[in-house]
Amino acid sequence: MALSGLNRCVRRLLGQIQRCRPIVATNQTARCLSQAASQPEPSADENEAVNPTFVNRNPRNLEQMALAVKDRGWKTTWPHREFYHRLVFSRTQHHVTAQVFSSSSPVPVLTCSTTEWAMKKELASTRCVAACQAVGEVLAHRCQQAGITRMVYRSIPWEYRSDAVQAFRKGMKDGGITLSEPRRKYVGT
Amino acid sequence: MALRTVCTTALRTGTDLGVNNVRTFVTTVALCRRTPPLGPMPNDQINIKSLESLEKYRSYTRYLRRAEEAKKQPVWWKTYRGYVEQADPDHGAEHVDIGLPYYRARRTTEVRERRQAMRDNKKNTELERTTRLRTYKIDLDRVQETWEESCAPFHIKRLAEHYGVFRDLFPMAYFLPQVFLHIRYGQNSSGQVHYGNRLTPAQAVSAPQISFDAEEGSLWTLLLTCPDEHLQDSEAEYVHWLVGNIPGGAVQAGDELCHYLPPFPARGTGFHRYIYVLFKQQGPIGFQEDVRPSPCLSLEDRTFKTTEFYRKYQDHLTPAGLAFFQSQWDESVTDTFHNTLNMREPVFEFIRPPVYHPPQVKYPHRQPLRYLDRYRDGKEHTYGIY
Repeated sequence: MALSGLNRCVRRLLGQIQRCRPIVATNQTARCLSQAASQPEPSADENEAVNPTFVNRNPRNLEQMALAVKDRGWKTTWPHREFYHRLVFSRTQHHVTAQVFSSSSPVPVLTCSTTEWAMKKELASTRCVAACQAVGEVLAHRCQQAGITRMVYRSIPWEYRSDAVQAFRKGMKDGGITLSEPRRKYVGT
Repeated sequence: MALRTVCTTALRTGTDLGVNNVRTFVTTVALCRRTPPLGPMPNDQINIKSLESLEKYRSYTRYLRRAEEAKKQPVWWKTYRGYVEQADPDHGAEHVDIGLPYYRARRTTEVRERRQAMRDNKKNTELERTTRLRTYKIDLDRVQETWEESCAPFHIKRLAEHYGVFRDLFPMAYFLPQVFLHIRYGQNSSGQVHYGNRLTPAQAVSAPQISFDAEEGSLWTLLLTCPDEHLQDSEAEYVHWLVGNIPGGAVQAGDELCHYLPPFPARGTGFHRYIYVLFKQQGPIGFQEDVRPSPCLSLEDRTFKTTEFYRKYQDHLTPAGLAFFQSQWDESVTDTFHNTLNMREPVFEFIRPPVYHPPQVKYPHRQPLRYLDRYRDGKEHTYGIY
């Protein structure tokens, strides 16, 4: 993302700054845990060289600031794709799986499933309502650790009312995850 | 012209009849050019004459699974995903595994023990009662411990790919972080570094406590770098902490090549990633070229590229552990800029990238007059002025 520098702090006329003191680069030995600094501090002018255009390469930065583009459209089909992260909850005959996908890739970012040994060890049955709640709590814990706290959950309408899906949602919300996403901010257009 | 008169007369008859919802028959179908499709259309194979013999889905989940698989199939028409992948320069390129080899011993005894444990769980009456009454609360700490031993490396690698850690630190390469790093700022659990959680620079002001599983006599190197913070070059990183030749699990006993500098994400730039990489050393390494003077406060000295560092020592170092957190501006960053780095604080604001327009054409077909204004490069619009 491209940013521009404000003139409050970074206004400098080219070629008119004089260097105060030159830096002497002393080569100290490797073990320098407690030795105090013996050479002069770097002059402020060297540190103040700032590019007026700043690029932040973090791919999650724009979506966390709610500035990233969401995939609009798709309103005549179901489900829509206007999200940064979506939550998918599926129950099979023997197991329960929850996955978090981002809008950019078909590979899930986070998963929690009763097929993992970490979950199987703690549960009596891997397909019941208590298992769904446990999966929700553990996935919420992992999402908090991964820094993904807001996501969209579009469940199949007639399955939304079932106890399993409600228990899963309760587990996620108790873990501190918000199941809605912030609206996009339109800056500068 | 004749068509238009037909349409308007039809409208008139509609309102004459006193009915408003009569719509005219649109005849534009005959006006546009019809060409055959450039490939097979979907659902070509379905025989519409005998729909009863077709196999039905009978359930929504079966249809949803087939639909998800069909979405991933390659198609002959242009898709948004196709455009994005074309624009990406290293899409589909082979990535090299630079980590420790992942080795799993024969699991027959382990599988037998696990099956026995599951059978014991089923026989456990207390567990069965709480499960049936839906009051069972799973123990998150125990799940975390088992997860760390079993699937943590794969999950952390997936998250690191999502956060672009491998793309920025080790281009065209990846590694499986098999050594789990426990990093904690402060005493409570809110200052722990996992894989992407948010911490404030005030929490990260001093060096954290680090622990990891290491056998006696092994040597490690720890690196804390930030690829997003660089104030001049967007492809370079700032190294915040570099400790080499760490014996066993004690980071204090290692050679501090670059002392700890707290994070300083500039205001207005959003969230920066701070990445801890743990390298396993084959033997003691002399890091003479990478030693920085003791309080290294010059940002030029701290400019760093993990690729070059790794390339220099790649015969002796292997990346084995990974942890990262995100941080954005708060008041302690101002103190870091003013007092520690002895410089004025830069402040930025977000500029949206310019709207895309296709290359300009000499005779634009069916475009409005403001087509010329799109290529006027920011000068004043000339339409709408009366």
